[in-house]
Amino acid sequence: MPLRLCESARSMATVTLDGVGKDHGKAQILGSLSFEIADGELLVLVGPSGCGKSTLLRCIAGLDELSRGRILVDGRDVTQAAPRDRDLAMVFQNYALYPHLTVRENLAFGLKMRKMPAAEIAQRVNDVALLLGLETLLERTPQKLSGGQCQRVAIGRALVRTPKAFLFDEPLSNLDAALRTQMRVELKRLHQRLGATMIYVTHDQVEAMTLADRIAVLRQGVLQQLGTPTELYERPNNLFVARFLGTPEINVVDGKELMQKQFMATLPDRAVKVGIRPESIHFVADGKPARVDLLEQLGWESLVHLDCDGVRLVARVSANAPTVGATVGFKIDDRALHYFDRDEKRL
Amino acid sequence: MTLGLVLHLVVWHAYHGAEESAFEHATLAFETANPGVSVELVAVPFGAYSYKLEAAIPHGNGPDLFVGKSNGLQEWIDRGLIDAIDAEVDPSQFVSGTLPPLIHHQRLYGVPLAFKSVALFYRRDRITKPPRTTDELVAIAEREHAADRCGLAYEAASLSYHAAWLHGFGGRILDDNNQPALDSAEAARSIEFVRMLANRHLIAEEATGQLVTDLFNRGECAMAISGPWFLSDIEADVRFGVASLPIVSSTGKPAAPLSEIEALMLPARSKTHAAALNFALFLSGKDAARLRALEGRQTVATAATWQLDEIKNDPVLTAFYDQFKLAVPMSQSRALQASWEPGQRALRRVLRGDVDAKRALAGAQAEIVATLRPAPPPAAKLPFAISLFALGLALLWWRQRAQPEVAFRSQPVAYVYLAPAAVAMGVLVFVPFVVGAAMSLFDYDGVHATFVGWGNFGNILRARDTSLFSPLSFYFALLVTALWTVANVALHVAIGVALALLLRSPLLRLRGVYRALLIVPWAVPNYITALIWKGLFHKQFGAINALLKVCHLEPISWFAHFWTAFAANLATNVWLGFPFMMVVTLGALSRIPRELEEAAALDGASAWMRLRHIVLPLIRPALLPAVLIGAVWTFNMFNVVFLVSGGEPDGSTDILVSQAYRWAFQRGHQYGYAAAYAVLIFLLLVAQTAFGRRMSQKQAT
Repeated sequence: MPLRLCESARSMATVTLDGVGKDHGKAQILGSLSFEIADGELLVLVGPSGCGKSTLLRCIAGLDELSRGRILVDGRDVTQAAPRDRDLAMVFQNYALYPHLTVRENLAFGLKMRKMPAAEIAQRVNDVALLLGLETLLERTPQKLSGGQCQRVAIGRALVRTPKAFLFDEPLSNLDAALRTQMRVELKRLHQRLGATMIYVTHDQVEAMTLADRIAVLRQGVLQQLGTPTELYERPNNLFVARFLGTPEINVVDGKELMQKQFMATLPDRAVKVGIRPESIHFVADGKPARVDLLEQLGWESLVHLDCDGVRLVARVSANAPTVGATVGFKIDDRALHYFDRDEKRL
Repeated sequence: MTLGLVLHLVVWHAYHGAEESAFEHATLAFETANPGVSVELVAVPFGAYSYKLEAAIPHGNGPDLFVGKSNGLQEWIDRGLIDAIDAEVDPSQFVSGTLPPLIHHQRLYGVPLAFKSVALFYRRDRITKPPRTTDELVAIAEREHAADRCGLAYEAASLSYHAAWLHGFGGRILDDNNQPALDSAEAARSIEFVRMLANRHLIAEEATGQLVTDLFNRGECAMAISGPWFLSDIEADVRFGVASLPIVSSTGKPAAPLSEIEALMLPARSKTHAAALNFALFLSGKDAARLRALEGRQTVATAATWQLDEIKNDPVLTAFYDQFKLAVPMSQSRALQASWEPGQRALRRVLRGDVDAKRALAGAQAEIVATLRPAPPPAAKLPFAISLFALGLALLWWRQRAQPEVAFRSQPVAYVYLAPAAVAMGVLVFVPFVVGAAMSLFDYDGVHATFVGWGNFGNILRARDTSLFSPLSFYFALLVTALWTVANVALHVAIGVALALLLRSPLLRLRGVYRALLIVPWAVPNYITALIWKGLFHKQFGAINALLKVCHLEPISWFAHFWTAFAANLATNVWLGFPFMMVVTLGALSRIPRELEEAAALDGASAWMRLRHIVLPLIRPALLPAVLIGAVWTFNMFNVVFLVSGGEPDGSTDILVSQAYRWAFQRGHQYGYAAAYAVLIFLLLVAQTAFGRRMSQKQAT
């Protein structure tokens, strides 16, 4: 079994970003980012498209140059090092398999380039193939593989080299929904098994939440928050993070309006916006009345769109969904409210 | 004004200048004397004269009468282009010696107008008494020779000029049976004489007609050898005299130039023979001849004219008259036509100092003999036809079996859609192909066709006429063609791919500009490029030798040696060919996702490794078909070879297709032989393409 692989994969490392920034012409793509990815951690970089997450990953890989700051891998400054001297492996969004090589040759390519003895290459390729279930595909060329198989080969090509850290650039976005969920689980399991340092870029917050040890949310090249999925969900630093994480999106209501319409008695100082997670709205018979505007049935739960005196809210309920047009009573769990100031910062 | 009754005659000539205007005036006089006839004179450029005649006469588009030269007679008669003159002509009416060159098998084929031969022109401001012997000539030339001047200028490399020395030294071009006789000790001595003149810088180097004119007019040479046509090129203020060529001192024989007779000839099958003949006799008559002699400065063939005082006292015309008496009439034979090119080549080689005269002449002789090789024996047609028919049936059956075109049969309308393209393909490709292939089975000179079966192929493939290593042999040309193709395609691909990779570099600015510039060589018509490159490689005036000089290197006579001439051709064709490969490579490169190289970079591959293991393998599939097409184009790249080196030296840089052209158009109209070359080229290309396709299919699987 690929024990050897797991063992060698244990010699993983930290990745440190120190004031990393990148400009394109006059436009700033990445601000000044400083954080560390711990040994064995799976860090997800998430954000809407154009937020700079892919650029950051490419900078770490050495494919793009930094405008400022330093990158350290395992304490060694690699800012000026060529990609091949950083000992990192990357899985690309569209797999980037070498189309003219068989799966076996694809897997072996990096080892060959590093002049590893043939016997060891064969051993490692077999180990990885076994680990990822590629044994029967080894002699095929990429054209003859399905999307999921390609993805597995791409991951295998990264694994086989036992690099210091793995970089994933939206690796699942080209797969269909079912396969994506499945591969997500496989990746999670792989990470648990290898305990490798991984940096994973995605724009899909579900992927981020489910995979990450920690999540870094980026917006226009600036780090919004870095923390565990739970931290981010429960204590978002700002409105952007609150909105970005969670399905359905958090309800954001104007504080004054809530006061006027007597949703609540008091509002903390400086609070301008109030965030209400859909699951913190509960239906109770004696609650504030609201009309059911729309109903989204998901089977195990329902999303109920409410209209209460002109304030629109989405509630998530697990059972006994009301009918559309009915008037229901609801109440908001006070402790689950998120208050944001004028700058959309958490209070 | 009975316009309908006027007989219209069209007369072709190649005159210009004074000769043309005298000819026009004589014609006017004829029209005045014969109100029922109108004559239209058409000046046809000299270079295209015989081609035009050969093309027009068989189709009835020719003139009613034309001015032709005696030395083309036999070929024109053989090819049925001219008719004999049936009227009685009084021989005493003409200068003696002007009629025999026009007689073939006791029949007269033209009314002589003028005789022409070269003579010695000298500037009176430099020379008072023209040289009588070659020793005197050398002495005068030595005296006249200076840094910017030479004694004598003439087209030394042209066999028709050299013939005078050849005869003076006792040699000749053809023997009494019209067989080539260049390979003789006398001929060798005559060439050695000229080489001596050249080595001592007594004659102008690499002289062309234009250069001779310029030198003589500017006084940069004291003497020139040329013909009566030179008179109209001499500027009015130049005082000059004409004399017979000197006597060769070592033999005591006069240097006897070749002479030819200009005559009015009757195209075959013309219906206006009687009127045309009437015009011809008028032009050769006393009055018209006087006009031509005085105004046109023609050395007329009419005897009576030379009795006139005004002519008798003309020192120039009488000098030509005297020279004509000594001259050797040009043979009508094809063998003479076949001698010009090889003879010129031999002269050039010796003057360049490549080989000694003896060897050069032997080579020329062999080449002439090869060109005149007898046609293959006629072959029986029937068995041949039967076997071809059987072959056709077998092919048809095989095609039928291979592709049951069901879709076609169920959709008859498809035939209608395909018809225009099919007709075009048929007319433009299929018919010429079949005609050409059929021609290869005949001995065909443009008029007479004899079925010879595989005879032409046998002659080509057995290389019987020449040594295997002669540039004239098929195998030599094949070897050169193979070398040419491989070298070109290799360089096209190497340079094209390298430039495409450079253009892709992210560091490059103004990429679009460079790309456009690099495609330009491809967009310029290739013959223009070829002519430009030929100019660049010119020994005296070319930019490349100028560059060498700047670098203090010896200038190279590019077309004097095989490898340098080959390199010149190669450079031109590489220039023409790399943009195609570059464009194909750019296209292929643009289809390689950037991530592939990035993945390889992360995988630890250096730039070179990425090129070798990722980029090159990925552009290979796109490049292979391009290489196949490029190989076919190069294999048949006639323009470059023909225009840049022109086969120099000695036809050694000719490729198969330019050899085929020469056999068809420069070596006595051997169309069948040339067609057999073409068929062989076709088969070679089919084999080459089939091989290439197999290669690329193998690659694909």
